[in-house]
Amino acid sequence: MSVIVLVEHTEGNIKKKSFEAVQYAAHIAQQTGTTATAVVLGSIADAEMEALGNYGAKKVVHIADDRFNELHARAYTSALIKVAQAGESKIIVTLYDINGRAVAPRVAVQLKAGIVAGALSYPDIDNGFVIKKAVFSGKAFAFVNVVSDKKVIMLMPNTFPLVKTDGKASIEKLDISFTEKDFGIKVTAVNKVVGEIPLSDATLVVSGGRGMKGPENWGLIENLAKELGAATACSRPVADAHWRPHHEHVGQTGGTVRPDLYIAVGISGAIQHLAGVNGSKTIVVINTDPEAPFFKAANYGVVGDAMTVLPRLTEAVKKFKQHK
Amino acid sequence: MNITGSVNAIKGGEFLVRETEADSIFIPEEWNEEQLMIAETCTNFLAQHVTPNLTRIDEQEEGLMPHLMEEAGALGLLGISIPEEYGGFGKDFTTSMLVTEKLGAGNSFSVAFSAHTGIGTLPILYYGNAEQKQKYIPKLASGEWKGAYCLTEPGAGSDANSGKARAKLSADGKHYLITGQKMWITNAGFADIFTVFAKIDDDENLSAFIVEKNFEGLSLNPEEHKMGIKGSSTRQVFFNDCKVPVENLLSERQNGFKIAVNILNLGRIKLGGGTVGASKEVITMAVRYANEREQFGRAISKYGAIRHKLAQQAIRTYGSESAIYRASQNMEEATEQFVASGMDEIKAKLKGTEQFAIEAALIKVHASETLDYVVDEGVQIYGGMGYSAEAPMDRAYRDSRINRIFEGTNEINRMLMVDMMLKRALKGELDLMGPAQAVAGELTSIPDFAAAEEEGLFSKEKKYIKGFKKAILMVAGAAVQKLMTQLGKEQEVLMCLADMLMELYVSESTQLRVEKLVGMRGEEACKEQLDIMRVYINDAAENILKSGKEAINSFADGDEKRMMLMGLKRFTKTEDINTIQARRNIAAKLITENKYCF
Amino acid sequence: MPDTTTKIILNPNATAINKEGTTYVINPYDEWYALIRAIELKESGIATEIHLITVGKAEVEPIIRKALSLGGDEAIRIDAESIDPYQTAAYIADYAKSVGYDLVLCGKESIDYNNGTTGVILAEMLDLDYIGFATSIKIEGNSAIVNREIEGGEETDSCKLPVVIACQKGVAEARIPNMRGIMAARTRPLKVVTPSAVSPLTEILSYELPLAKSGVKMVSPDNMDELVELLHSEAKVI
Repeated sequence: MSVIVLVEHTEGNIKKKSFEAVQYAAHIAQQTGTTATAVVLGSIADAEMEALGNYGAKKVVHIADDRFNELHARAYTSALIKVAQAGESKIIVTLYDINGRAVAPRVAVQLKAGIVAGALSYPDIDNGFVIKKAVFSGKAFAFVNVVSDKKVIMLMPNTFPLVKTDGKASIEKLDISFTEKDFGIKVTAVNKVVGEIPLSDATLVVSGGRGMKGPENWGLIENLAKELGAATACSRPVADAHWRPHHEHVGQTGGTVRPDLYIAVGISGAIQHLAGVNGSKTIVVINTDPEAPFFKAANYGVVGDAMTVLPRLTEAVKKFKQHK
Repeated sequence: MNITGSVNAIKGGEFLVRETEADSIFIPEEWNEEQLMIAETCTNFLAQHVTPNLTRIDEQEEGLMPHLMEEAGALGLLGISIPEEYGGFGKDFTTSMLVTEKLGAGNSFSVAFSAHTGIGTLPILYYGNAEQKQKYIPKLASGEWKGAYCLTEPGAGSDANSGKARAKLSADGKHYLITGQKMWITNAGFADIFTVFAKIDDDENLSAFIVEKNFEGLSLNPEEHKMGIKGSSTRQVFFNDCKVPVENLLSERQNGFKIAVNILNLGRIKLGGGTVGASKEVITMAVRYANEREQFGRAISKYGAIRHKLAQQAIRTYGSESAIYRASQNMEEATEQFVASGMDEIKAKLKGTEQFAIEAALIKVHASETLDYVVDEGVQIYGGMGYSAEAPMDRAYRDSRINRIFEGTNEINRMLMVDMMLKRALKGELDLMGPAQAVAGELTSIPDFAAAEEEGLFSKEKKYIKGFKKAILMVAGAAVQKLMTQLGKEQEVLMCLADMLMELYVSESTQLRVEKLVGMRGEEACKEQLDIMRVYINDAAENILKSGKEAINSFADGDEKRMMLMGLKRFTKTEDINTIQARRNIAAKLITENKYCF
Repeated sequence: MPDTTTKIILNPNATAINKEGTTYVINPYDEWYALIRAIELKESGIATEIHLITVGKAEVEPIIRKALSLGGDEAIRIDAESIDPYQTAAYIADYAKSVGYDLVLCGKESIDYNNGTTGVILAEMLDLDYIGFATSIKIEGNSAIVNREIEGGEETDSCKLPVVIACQKGVAEARIPNMRGIMAARTRPLKVVTPSAVSPLTEILSYELPLAKSGVKMVSPDNMDELVELLHSEAKVI
């Protein structure tokens, strides 16, 4: 009856957000009187997988097939289903990220399980199985009750802080056979932007808008981002004007970010942009216009010209890091 | 779209002497699904192509305006009312008014668009022969060719027929050679086709010609530097023995002035539509600014002084809009009736429009003055930023001003509307005499205080409007009697009468619209519209009283004067209402919706 | 296409965005990207027929016609409330199985419930592959060549038809309906289909609005050290 949780890894390391998923699954396991089993697919060292015990996994099932190093949703699904059937699991947890979103719904169909996309809370099991999630692009929250016997939950990353324990997990190896159908998608090219922190998982983001006046000024944003160890983002007009690549566009029809810190420079704060960033824990707004609507949604505000404020802020961060 | 088909349908100008049923008018709240989709395309077009480029447009960036015209053409917006056989969509007049309204919020683009689709295309569409239409209309409908219209000259503005441009037949009889100078020509910088007015030889009246930009002898002056609509191409056009093939004579010789007047009727009501579209957009900008700008710790939209302005902007816009769609539907129905009686379609269209030329002139004046009010208070609401060229209100303010000048100055249009009324009365087309005499009779009789007060949500307003009509009939009747043919020279009196007529028409149109709306949605859902109606009529009564007094005091004296002044007071008496509270209610809705929402 | 007749379907989701009355729009991801790409494929001769499928009650028909004004040969409205993704996908799958589509395009998620699961569930029910977060779609022969977003970059995938693809920015440029399309919208068929009942597996019990932010703390532009200090000690984010 264990709770199954899908673990993601990259370049030999388990992703931080996967530890969050494991921790979340372990919590639910405790709530429902069972244990959590982490499922790891693809090539990764045992030593790495042991850390999963520190976040509440009792058992780790490792399916070492190399093909898993790319996303093959149907294969992932088959694997999860096999493990779930073996453990008679009723609850499956993945992350609400690109990979999780391709896999969890398929698992849900096969298990005839209701699915929650983007959980922001632990389930309230006193009133059914009710989980909070964001709706209307973050303008509201909904309380979703899963009425089916089995349940699939996709956890929103960066919702719960990680708490390391000294728990231990046993590692079990599993071999599964797959069909051709499971690997129907061929990956013909991969273009990873080297050295950049992917926006979707970033905990720190520096974002620029039209107030930056032009793409030639973006070095100021990039410098601050580098100093902070942050990802860079932009508003829609900037992406539409091709000042920045479209994957940096954050907003209602762009990407959604939920970092700990979102610094918005020269962005007025239209509702569509706010929809993409209102899940941020802390928002800093830098704008020359004291009437900019974004200040109403900010935790900290600076009225000033980006051209002077950004270098100063970069310096201040540098100084701060040196003294630490 | 309903066809009343009634033999007894209201005629142009008859609003002064007849009642209209609320159910019989068209109100904007009745748009059908297809019309709403068309409106959305217009709005999206502006949002995507025009609004982000307003600065570049105003700088007259090379090729930009003609490109925008082509984009509009690709969406089909230039061919809305052009018959399908010429590549258009053959839509009804009300739909084309909706397009005009929605595209009216495009500053300089709106002017280029209106000039092209109106004066730039319609003379050929309505007066061209089959060959001319086949040659020019499809490309004008698609936007491949752009149109312009050359009537005005340095010495011939309001007095258009005094133009000095001349045309003479060439020796071989194959061309007209046009010589003259035209001024203030919109779209001249990129137009392919010009409809040019000139007198042939010693003719008394103008003739019209289709001139292509490549014809020998045509040249342009550089762009005029204007207060506003800087993005609209405005140039002087010179004709030096400009060779125009004889087959490009448009309609009959000496028919030019008639063409000009008929096209102007349409142009006037269209201008009304465009300015209403602009007003709504400016009000939305003003509300949003007021909701964001904070002073003394609160958004300025919380302050009464600002709320008054927002409400007043909305009230006047709602009034203009009510009048426009009422009249455009009247024109459409009149056209259909003429067609049904066997008249040729184009002739019917022109006659149907001409029927309501009085209303068209009235609407042109009212709507243009509404927009000037709206942008003026818009600047005021924006405060310092209203004066800054970095904010949009400055452009709105400067762009609006031309509307009171072109398409017939508002002074000309005021005098025209009264003049047309009286002329129709004289010709027996409009019975003003009878009703005027009845009112005069009422003056000497004792008012019937025991007359049963009508019950109903709109009974008070209907009573007031009846009173307004009596007031006008009384003053106009007396003015005609007293001044007779001299009345034409008493421009101030004519202007007073015009103002009274405008207030009546807009009051009545607003009242009927709200009545119909309440019938559709229920009283509860129309609270603010009811307030708009009440405030408008309340203020209209005061204005009618003031204008009436001014007229009466200028030509009447003694007992007659006293009696008329008393009558005027009686006819414009309204119950006191709390207009401040009513405006607050209206403003509150605008503020909650954060846009013009009526 | 030389051999097969390629039919494409779309899932426009009706999305209520106006609290007063119901102003419905097509889900932007569906309208701007999925639908337009389908129309482009038809314009280039690759697709032969486009079907627009919506799950909704009669009040969504104006939006379906709006989609038709952009393009599409036939619209199908499955007469049901769209309550949860499983149920919605089941209705669509039921209909799709009766027709047999070569390509299914949808938006990456809907902007009302932000689930993004309906398309995947549909793919699983139709026993098809699913490619999400697509930024470009090409059809070559009997395969779809799709660029999709991955963490930290992009990947190019190749998959044999039929397949389900969820679209986002990059797949196509949004279009404004033109007069011709608007007038054609009325004439294109809009079929209404009654589905066999499927029970939803989730329900929304209630909603909540986010807590208002407590008020912005302004920091002088000359004092960035203070800001850094606040971010560290107060906000605890660096």
